[in-house]
Amino acid sequence: MADKNYYTIDPEGKLTCVKCGVKLQKGKAKFMYLDNGFPVELPVCPKCGFVYVPEELALGKVLSVEKALEDK
Amino acid sequence: MLIEERASTHVYRQKRMFTKEELEQREHLCVHEQPAYCVAACPLKLDTKELIGAVADGDFDKALALYEKITAFPNILSAGCEAPCEEKCKLCSLGDGVSISAIEAAAVNYGTQAPKRSGLHFKKKKTVAIIGSGLFPLFLTGELVKKTYPLTVYCTQENKEQWISQQTEFVEKEALGKDLARLEKLDVEFRFKCEPDASLLRKLQEEYDIVCAEYAAAKAVFPNLEADRALMYARNENLVTGEVSGVLDAAFCAKKAAISVDRLAQKLDPANTRGDEGPVETKLYTSLEGVEPSKKIPINSREDAVSEASRCIQCRCEECIKGCAYLQHYNKFPRQLTREIYNNVSIIMGDHMMNKPINACSLCGQCSVLCPNGYDMAEICHVARQNMVTTGKMPLAPHEFALMDMSFSNDEAFLCRHQPGWTTSKYVFFPGCQATAIAPATVKRAYLDLCSRLDGGVALMLGCCGAICDWAGRYEMYDDTVAFLDENLKALGNPIIISGCPSCKKELSGHEGVEVHGIWEILENIGLPSCSKRIEKPVAVHDSCGARGDRETQDSIRRIAEKLGCQVVDTPYSGDKSPCCGYGGLTQYTNREVAKEMTRKCLERSELPYLSYCMACRDRFAREGRESMHILELIYGTAADNCPDISKKRYNRLGLKNQLREELWDEEVEKIELGYTIEYTQQAEELMDDRMILKTDVIQVMNNFRETREAVLDGDSGLMITRCRLGNVTFWVKFRETPEGYLVESAYSHRMKIATRE
Repeated sequence: MADKNYYTIDPEGKLTCVKCGVKLQKGKAKFMYLDNGFPVELPVCPKCGFVYVPEELALGKVLSVEKALEDK
Repeated sequence: MLIEERASTHVYRQKRMFTKEELEQREHLCVHEQPAYCVAACPLKLDTKELIGAVADGDFDKALALYEKITAFPNILSAGCEAPCEEKCKLCSLGDGVSISAIEAAAVNYGTQAPKRSGLHFKKKKTVAIIGSGLFPLFLTGELVKKTYPLTVYCTQENKEQWISQQTEFVEKEALGKDLARLEKLDVEFRFKCEPDASLLRKLQEEYDIVCAEYAAAKAVFPNLEADRALMYARNENLVTGEVSGVLDAAFCAKKAAISVDRLAQKLDPANTRGDEGPVETKLYTSLEGVEPSKKIPINSREDAVSEASRCIQCRCEECIKGCAYLQHYNKFPRQLTREIYNNVSIIMGDHMMNKPINACSLCGQCSVLCPNGYDMAEICHVARQNMVTTGKMPLAPHEFALMDMSFSNDEAFLCRHQPGWTTSKYVFFPGCQATAIAPATVKRAYLDLCSRLDGGVALMLGCCGAICDWAGRYEMYDDTVAFLDENLKALGNPIIISGCPSCKKELSGHEGVEVHGIWEILENIGLPSCSKRIEKPVAVHDSCGARGDRETQDSIRRIAEKLGCQVVDTPYSGDKSPCCGYGGLTQYTNREVAKEMTRKCLERSELPYLSYCMACRDRFAREGRESMHILELIYGTAADNCPDISKKRYNRLGLKNQLREELWDEEVEKIELGYTIEYTQQAEELMDDRMILKTDVIQVMNNFRETREAVLDGDSGLMITRCRLGNVTFWVKFRETPEGYLVESAYSHRMKIATRE
């Protein structure tokens, strides 16, 4: 079965990990809330695994999914 | 402190809010859906209110259509109806009631009959015969045709015109002609020139399934006929008949007879399962406040009818919704809202659409005062919240900030001390968390004043009374808070509590064995301090929802205001009827939109500066741009902070505690040095206030960054972005490095956890 992703962001080489000094790459990540998981592809540091959640994503899609789950 | 998040959305625990009886008991208090007085009085169940409304709108066709629902012969009925509804009109208590009968006649006169929809017309299998003429057979014909019985009328007359003219002398010729035309269109057979003798009746009883008869004709044939007027049925002769008196009674009896025909057709006893017939008692309440008496307008034209119908006040009970921004927002009356909340709580899995309304009520109890029957939505929403907490279905997100704020008040910012130099206390001053958050200088001055003028020692307790967790439905946390405060009060020797906030006063009064007074009562006794600030101008006093039912507090505030030179102007919805400012019940946190509407609802009552005695009210009114004062600001001549943000509110509480510890109790306060600076752009400060992110949260995130160097650098903006999980929330900070530390340009947060995966 194809790997399902709810959301994908490609950093396009614009983001650098401050700690490791390497470019963030599109990587596999997972949001988890109230015992529910959502696979996504986000900018991830290939070295230390730091996952970056941009402001627009946090206040947009993430917030709306949080609210929907809270009323389940 | 960490408040535990609900574990999962897959927890299917359930607990009923109320028993069915308890639910119905509450629902029955709401009379919004009760029929209007005129409607209740009509035995034919005409929707008089709707009809008058249609005429007032000039829609005579709609009005006629409504009237046709109750009769096939509107001209005859409207000309002769005795109109018991008219004396029930609410306007009668002011002067002239509405001329309902004349309006109905106008609807029949000026309305145009809608064309009949064509289509298949099925008929019932059971056949019915009607014997005789007059009003009862006439109206019964209309009823039975509507019920699609194959119907035959036997009469002595020679034609339909003669038949319809029996007992209808009161109808004008032209109007009778119109109803004759309606009769012509009805699917009914006639047998003219038939004498209603015993042989005919017996014959028809054999030929037809059900036989109905005009009473006098039947009685002449069967002298022992015993007809039950309630059923319009003579059991001993198996005849649908009965005595009628008057036009309306004939129409009503025809309806009763038609139900008996239905029962007989189904081989049931006519007395069984008949439903609600005839006029009913209504429990409706309608306020006549602001309604001017007016005179009846004789109806000679369409325009006259519209004018007369426009006098109707369309009786309805809207007492609660008129005063409550919350009910207005959801546009639901308590009865409906209660049922939906009850159902929401009973949902085992799926979307709980009513969570938001449950958490948006300010729990202020205004509805229980405005409602003529005392309907209490606050109780229902509060029980629903507690129920959701019990079953693990209450989301933490809407209340978490407020609950954490309460924990801060009763932990880091908590202070409990005897008066400096004393080891016992006759009193303890409890200013409340909002007073210390918004007006710390006023609290300090008030405490010093009480210490200097009261004998016996005045202790100080800075903390939260527990209203926050009570409002959130977190009953276990509330019990813990009560126990915590009781323990501290006990350590002080259970002194008399002087409360600075009406909500605290209400909450603390619930503790066992405590005596609580508002600071206003104490100051009225010992006199106002010399530093009081007089303001010689008119003010609108906003009564706190915490003081609902506490007349003594409401009066005390007004007396003090007048002593300070204020001209107290009375506003609508003052005293016990006062609405909530939007802070109560945590609405400010759970639903900002509704909270804002609540604040505006409070402010629409007057253009004047607002004087309040709850610091939360004072703050919310100021945020809406209104000149807003707390009574203690006037009494002590000190201004509260102007709309402090969430971080400042915490800083004020902690700052006051530490300042008093140092100045009054000579305690050493440990200073926490960061070792670097954090500055904020104005935009960042505004965003953080809006997104409920504290500066102390940002400090923790930056401390974490300094330890781990975990961050990303955005090549486009040159900003660094770091994050840290604090409790149930991940906080992100966008910043630049400065020579001394950091400049924060934005911050945001989310509750979801994030991790990498394979």
